[in-house]
Amino acid sequence: MTDQDISYEAARGELAAVVEKLEAGGTTLEESLALWERGEELAAICQRWLDGARARLDAARRERAAEPG
Amino acid sequence: MRVSEPEKDKSTPERPWPVRVVSQKIGAWVGKLGWVWIDGQLAQISRRPGTQVVFLTLRDPSADLSLTVTAHRDVLDAGAPNLAEGARVVLHAKPEFYPARGTLSLRADEIRQVGLGELLARIERLKRLLAAEGLFDPRLKRRPPFLPHRIGLVTGRASAAERDVLTNARRRWPAVEFRVVNVAVQGPAAVPQMIDALAVLDKDPDVDVIILARGGGSVEDLLPFSDEALCRAVSACRTPIISAIGHETDTPLVDFVADLRASTPTDAAKRVVPDLAEEWQRIGQARARLNRAMTGLLDREQHRLDLLRSRPVLARPELMVDGRLADLTALRDRAGRCLAHRLSAGTDELGHTLARLRALSPAATLQRGYAIVQRPDGTVVREPAQVAPGDALRLRLAGGEVPATVTAS
Repeated sequence: MTDQDISYEAARGELAAVVEKLEAGGTTLEESLALWERGEELAAICQRWLDGARARLDAARRERAAEPG
Repeated sequence: MRVSEPEKDKSTPERPWPVRVVSQKIGAWVGKLGWVWIDGQLAQISRRPGTQVVFLTLRDPSADLSLTVTAHRDVLDAGAPNLAEGARVVLHAKPEFYPARGTLSLRADEIRQVGLGELLARIERLKRLLAAEGLFDPRLKRRPPFLPHRIGLVTGRASAAERDVLTNARRRWPAVEFRVVNVAVQGPAAVPQMIDALAVLDKDPDVDVIILARGGGSVEDLLPFSDEALCRAVSACRTPIISAIGHETDTPLVDFVADLRASTPTDAAKRVVPDLAEEWQRIGQARARLNRAMTGLLDREQHRLDLLRSRPVLARPELMVDGRLADLTALRDRAGRCLAHRLSAGTDELGHTLARLRALSPAATLQRGYAIVQRPDGTVVREPAQVAPGDALRLRLAGGEVPATVTAS
């Protein structure tokens, strides 16, 4: 599964796991950096999902507002 | 009257029967029925001035059939003095053929008006009969469509019931379509006309629900709606039928066989089409809830995501480096401090050594006027035997060196 296909829930779940692992510590700097980069990536994916959903919602609202009657 | 023709003779084109013969034969046949008791509805009554004979038109309440009845005024006065058109009667009569005009009529010698109580009792009996036959079974009831294509309406011409149904239905759903069949809703013609109208509308494929409507009226006015033939016709219709007869309290038998009973014509309009404004409002409410649910979900998820992103490990990734940098700095400091320590220790040692060195230095001795004699290779000359005449020497004084040469020993 590429990141384009990952669902919001899967991304959020993985993000939480990454955060926990980072918080637990005990990783090398290289591992920590890789984890952090993955975390940022996952957070961005989640945000894209939420932004996309909100945009669709707003578009539907504007359409409804433009409806006659 | 005696007829000369032999009775058994057949009529032929060559030997046709005269009118009087035919008339006499018909009279004989009609007379054979004799006296009978008849139940019917009075369609017309004419009391002609100056004659003792009253002419009545007796109709079948369920079918378009009628018979003429003649009775003596006394017969009427004795049995049914207040007889009016539309009344239900039972009479004892004998059919008679009037040869002079070739007409048939019944001659009654007894007429009884059927009272309201008797009529209601008959309806009650009919109700039990129809119920026993299963015509009121709730399983037979068909649901009228939510939004009908076209609505059939059977009602009186220009009646309040017609107006109530049309106005209220159009107010609720402006695009509603009607096919209206106007009929008599009371009196002797009502039942046959209503049955015909139902048959016409039931056959129309566009009509998917039929309303049978009539405004309020007396119990007698509403009698046609408890007619057995009408009830059976309603029951036989394949199109769902809504009955809307009279007021809330009226329950003619047709209400029981109809698929849906509306209390009034206005109520029928409410039941036959949904209210457009109400439907819009419902859709609007559902949409608003949908929106709120979706917005709430997004807000909650955004909050969850924000929480995760605000955790120090993600929000301040520099900490990851900073921590290690601090370790590094500490180590460097330690290393620096260690080195400095070692350096200062070395410097001290050097000082001491220098002091010791200086204490051992010959400079002070030289200062007092002594000199050190050295060969050019630096060897200090301690014995005269160490030199021969001609040897080069260096004399080290406090103030510097002086070159010298050995002249004699």
